[in-house]
Amino acid sequence: MITHQRALALAVVSLTLAGCSGTRNPPPPPATTESPAGAPATERVVGPLSEADAAALASMNTQLKRYVELHQKLERELPKLPDNATPTQIDTNQRLLEEKVRAARAGAKQGDLFTPAATPVIKRLLAAVFGGPDGKQLKDSIMDENPVGVTVTVNGRYPDDVPVSTVPPQVLQTLPKLSDDMEYRFIGDRIVLVDVHAHLIADFIDDALPKF
Amino acid sequence: MRVRVWALAGVAAGGVLLATVLPSATSVAAVGQSTPGIGPAPPAAAPLPNRQGSLKFAVLGDFGTGDRTQYELADQMVKLHDRFKFELVVLVGDNLYGSERPQDFIRKFERPYNGLLDRGVKFYASLGNHDAREQRYYKLFNMNGKLYYSFSPHRDVRFFALESTYPVPEQFEWLEHEMKSSTSAWKIVFFHHPLYSSGDRHGSDLRLREVLEPIFAKYNVSLVLTGHDHFYERVKPQKGITYFETGSGGQLRKGNIDKSTGITASGFDTDLVFMGAEIVGDDLYFQAIARDGRTVDAGVVKRPNAAR
Repeated sequence: MITHQRALALAVVSLTLAGCSGTRNPPPPPATTESPAGAPATERVVGPLSEADAAALASMNTQLKRYVELHQKLERELPKLPDNATPTQIDTNQRLLEEKVRAARAGAKQGDLFTPAATPVIKRLLAAVFGGPDGKQLKDSIMDENPVGVTVTVNGRYPDDVPVSTVPPQVLQTLPKLSDDMEYRFIGDRIVLVDVHAHLIADFIDDALPKF
Repeated sequence: MRVRVWALAGVAAGGVLLATVLPSATSVAAVGQSTPGIGPAPPAAAPLPNRQGSLKFAVLGDFGTGDRTQYELADQMVKLHDRFKFELVVLVGDNLYGSERPQDFIRKFERPYNGLLDRGVKFYASLGNHDAREQRYYKLFNMNGKLYYSFSPHRDVRFFALESTYPVPEQFEWLEHEMKSSTSAWKIVFFHHPLYSSGDRHGSDLRLREVLEPIFAKYNVSLVLTGHDHFYERVKPQKGITYFETGSGGQLRKGNIDKSTGITASGFDTDLVFMGAEIVGDDLYFQAIARDGRTVDAGVVKRPNAAR
């Protein structure tokens, strides 16, 4: 259990709060990973953020929002992938989208989405998640079949031969919420923002996981 | 809930025929065990009753290698289907390994299971950590574009497919809502990462267990099917729920079951395995079959008491 970690400065800023100045911090709801009778399934923990941290994450959310809008605009230019697609349709659709997004972000570089202001906040949030007695187990679950020594580049294709890392629910409940088009994954010790449909690495932070 | 396992040993020459109905899963070394594994030897007779009108299905995981051994296990699935007409196969993830170009779908899925596909057997997939997210759009996986979904192929049975590599809170909210509104007596959940596993390589996913197990217990889930560890394992009931690990449909990690965990009711980690199952009223019969056609585990799971 990481309940005690949620008493620390764990925070989640959703995309709907993009641009929020973070001047009002509601008290955190009771932290839980279980579903007590009558309660919703999970409580996304919202903890207090300093104004500076909230502004930093807001800068990331602003950039993410722009990215997702671009992605969705480009995806609308493609034939809609049906829910009962053939492998050829799936592959063609994915590679076309990959080309379009890569071309539209030809100058993309590290830090465009995980902004310089947001990066230390993300690292601190992760440090809080992994800081408890279960931290090593959490990291072990992420490192399960997660290879080290893999080179990643912004705007590069997510390597086909690298399985996606597990992202524990406790981590997802801590980091800023993403739209369905994006996912956090880990490659080695890096946290990576993956454009799911385009198979692209949109950004990454090195050394995001603690050393045990 | 009890898990009854018939220990009919002595198929091997010189063995002693023993018929014992065991209460919940205590691992017993049966006399004259013909199938090397962990736990009591399975019965010599076919354990699936093959009743008319029952729900018959199979379970397969970690299979899409395209290797000869995957094809050989697929042949065993067809052989079972010759006499036991299962209508669907539940896939517990890692459906395709490596690249997922169109030709890979053919080599790693459509060709090995062609015999079943031609007979109208439907495959319902969940995704593992080796699977591209776009598999949810693949028509033969029947995910209808969703990473998590549920379906009810039979009166009183509902399956819930989950996505365990990226378990967003919304998924758990959806699961609670689905379970709360389901009136099915049997609730069977399948996904990739096991909550309980004796795998030395991966093992139990404790973080996922922390979140899912309370939901399963609250809503009286009958059965949980997972993969990820590359062997077969039937786990002793945990808080009344039976867990099956069926992760050796194509991949295999020999000798990977850690016998010291104490949670194994029956295990087999020396060859590929799939599982056949049949629900008859309050009983779920299961039969785990290896690549050479041997039955490596079999028995009955009694459904927990009335759904809440």
